[in-house]
Amino acid sequence: MGEDRSRILNMLAEGKISAEEAERLLDALDSRGAAAGAPAEPAIKGDPAPLLEALPKFLYVKVESANGDNVDVKIPIALVRSGLKLTSLIPPQAMDQINSSMSEHGMSIDFSNLKPEDIDELVQALREMEISVDSTNGDKVRVYCA
Amino acid sequence: MNLPPAVLDLRVTPVDSRPVRIWLPLFLLWPFVLVLAILTLVLTILADVVLAVLGQPYHRYTILVAHSLAALSETRGMVIRVNDKKAAVDMTVQ
Repeated sequence: MGEDRSRILNMLAEGKISAEEAERLLDALDSRGAAAGAPAEPAIKGDPAPLLEALPKFLYVKVESANGDNVDVKIPIALVRSGLKLTSLIPPQAMDQINSSMSEHGMSIDFSNLKPEDIDELVQALREMEISVDSTNGDKVRVYCA
Repeated sequence: MNLPPAVLDLRVTPVDSRPVRIWLPLFLLWPFVLVLAILTLVLTILADVVLAVLGQPYHRYTILVAHSLAALSETRGMVIRVNDKKAAVDMTVQ
């Protein structure tokens, strides 16, 4: 049982499986252990640092235009999380102005609907997101986490 | 929460002239930012207490300022690179 768990965690640390897959495997392992009447074990044994190291830490935005202009931005995911948390703390009057200004520019996102408890889930989903756009005129846009 | 950014490294490399590198030691500003942050937090705490006593629904300015400072600290590691036909600009926050 312990060997299975450490094997799953090693696979996650080596990047062979995603965090979601590891969670599913650990859940399956736990349910198997519970069914067999085995005592419950902690989800992570020992030092969790290798697991944390395996998680993506940066959001990359890369734009390569056909005429040779390139933009390459590397943003810490912690900054994205902090920014999202800030949006949930902005005073309502300021938030109304932000929302109306964004809708004037074609982005109808109501940030007042963003709740603090949803932010961690959103950032977790962001870690697994990858956007790749290849336009017909040769422009390329890639957004991913690593 | 990380420490605030210590260094801002800005490099501008024009195609037809000499490159320029600006290395800004932001850590020299830390003591001033700390004093400013403490003063701001004292003011926002007072403002929040007054707003709460007056029964205003929003009185979270202290948390807003604290989270803004935290967001500023999280800019460490940010890299922005822009290249076009005339120049390349490279900004790193460390």
